[in-house]
Amino acid sequence: MAAALLEQVINGAMTGSVYVLVALGMVLIYGVMHVLNFAHGVLFMLGGYLCHFFLTRLTGNYALAVLLTMAALAVVGAMLERGVFRPLQGNLRNQVIASLGLILALENLAVALWGPNALQIKVPATERLVALGELRFPLQHLLIIGVTAAVVAAMFVFLKWSKFGTALRATSQDRNAARVVGIPVERMDVASFALGTALAALGGALVGPLFLVFPQMGDAPMVKGLAGILLGGMGSVPGAVVGGLIIGIAESVSTLFLPTDYRDSVAFAIMVLILLARPRGLFGVRARGEP
Amino acid sequence: MRLVILLAACIAATAAAQDKVAVGIVTSLTGPMAPPGKFQMNGFNLAAEEINGAGGITVGGRKYMVDLKVYDTRANPAEGASAMQRLATVDKVPVVLGELHSGVAGAEAPVAQDYGVPLILTVPTGPNLTEQGNRFLFRVNASNDQLNLALVDFIQKQGWAPLSFIAWNNDAGRGGVNGMKKLLGDAKTGYVGYFNVGEVDFSSHVSNIRASNARAVMLFMDEEPGSLAIKQLRDAGLKTQLIGTLAMGSDRFLKRLDADRLAGMVQYNAFPPNADTPRIRSFSERYKKKFGEEAHGFAAQSYDGLMMAAAAMQKAGTVSDGKKLRDALAGLEHDGVIGRIRFDAKGQANPPVYVTQWCANGMRRILYPESLKADCGAG
Repeated sequence: MAAALLEQVINGAMTGSVYVLVALGMVLIYGVMHVLNFAHGVLFMLGGYLCHFFLTRLTGNYALAVLLTMAALAVVGAMLERGVFRPLQGNLRNQVIASLGLILALENLAVALWGPNALQIKVPATERLVALGELRFPLQHLLIIGVTAAVVAAMFVFLKWSKFGTALRATSQDRNAARVVGIPVERMDVASFALGTALAALGGALVGPLFLVFPQMGDAPMVKGLAGILLGGMGSVPGAVVGGLIIGIAESVSTLFLPTDYRDSVAFAIMVLILLARPRGLFGVRARGEP
Repeated sequence: MRLVILLAACIAATAAAQDKVAVGIVTSLTGPMAPPGKFQMNGFNLAAEEINGAGGITVGGRKYMVDLKVYDTRANPAEGASAMQRLATVDKVPVVLGELHSGVAGAEAPVAQDYGVPLILTVPTGPNLTEQGNRFLFRVNASNDQLNLALVDFIQKQGWAPLSFIAWNNDAGRGGVNGMKKLLGDAKTGYVGYFNVGEVDFSSHVSNIRASNARAVMLFMDEEPGSLAIKQLRDAGLKTQLIGTLAMGSDRFLKRLDADRLAGMVQYNAFPPNADTPRIRSFSERYKKKFGEEAHGFAAQSYDGLMMAAAAMQKAGTVSDGKKLRDALAGLEHDGVIGRIRFDAKGQANPPVYVTQWCANGMRRILYPESLKADCGAG
């Protein structure tokens, strides 16, 4: 039982890490632009496909392919902000509709470019098995947890201590005040989109070798990442991290006690319970002007 | 005026297409069932090409070329029903074939009955489809009940109990598990876990199967989740006997994994592409020549389906009367690629079901039925 529990906690930490990467990106974009980008899951999916492309067609080096994927999708993210979300600024409804439309467009683009069959990203180096007591995990599994932890730490340092990160936070707190002190808020919008999309891409590129790359691969991480954000508190970066991990670990551990088909229900039941106790989520704060 | 032009165009079109007979196809070209849909379409395309290459179908002294009218139903029952209706009312096809998804087939079947257009299923396995008293529904492939009967017979002979399951959380998965549980009895059933289409993480099932001390695990799923489940079970160090569906007995599947992880695994199979039977060998060769890959059971079943539809049109002497075609199909006996096909009173054929096993060298052997047993390289 102890081994099974440990196994599920490690499994949950891995899925949770993926949710964290998605949630972090969505929270950054939401914080700065107040847009919930529902297309974040398909950007995650594009991350998987591009990583496959870069790995098999260009570099042959997984680490390099992951970095290239993040760079490429950062550009895509910046273009989406410029081309889709900025023209619709101030109209939340249209932005949501646009992001839903992007899901259709990008998912079918992936089918058109790579076909409907799932692709495999073969990385022999990370297929190796690592023994933890009687349990064995593929190295990739642990890599996802480690890379996510490093990215989260880097994000905190960046947002807290760098000048650029401070400017991002200032924009998310009060757009007009930020503009008054000379922060180019439009550039902050682009930056948040590029960074958020790059994080989604990282998620897709990390998950690809462990599972498969297919057009719907981003659906579950997007929904669970969103649940993590709500649970952690809309707009809160630590909230997104804690929320994503809670959802991931809770749904994995629950399978030891409940039938596995209740896994999703457990994730959302926990979200509802926490929101009942704390309507703004674990780390949620009242935004200025809100009742 | 515009109407007149339109009418004229329609008449012109029918005049030009005079020597063609449109046959309706419902399949998945996109969405989650697109990969198996490709095998299905390969089967139909090969059959159509061979029929047309041999001069078409002769009905009433006239030759008709087969023209496939394909609709993508995307594993969606509503799309299936509307495609079926469109085929019956707008395209006015005499017969419709295909479908992959039992749920979608369930939505199409009543429409087929309403319009009197025979629907020949070539892949869906849901047993209840042929239990609705629908005289216009036929099924070429074995249903889950038939597959389970053979597989359970085999498993019991091996003494593999308790048997655990990882299954799709849908009609195919749940129906399959329930069917096998009924035949095996609860005492011989271990852990049962379901997963949703699109889920890729089987780690929780792995823990539960390890804890349940299962002698064997049945994987009710197709190629993609199957490869992930096997990889995750084997990577976690489980040595449990694996049992799979027909999607897991192909060279394509081997390419997704490796011979080490697959060795010893068994799966039921409607069509062992390397079997030393003339009809199978010849089909496999023609298929490989056209598509450059190993023949697939879904393709063989679909090929046979279209061949039967063509035979029924010749026999009934019509390319438009669905009711006459239905009667012709009901009495037809066809020597197909998958075996001798004859529909029973419910429209269900009873083709042979095989159990094949992966050898350590990446080949397959046939273990069941006893009479067709053959060693590595034959499966």
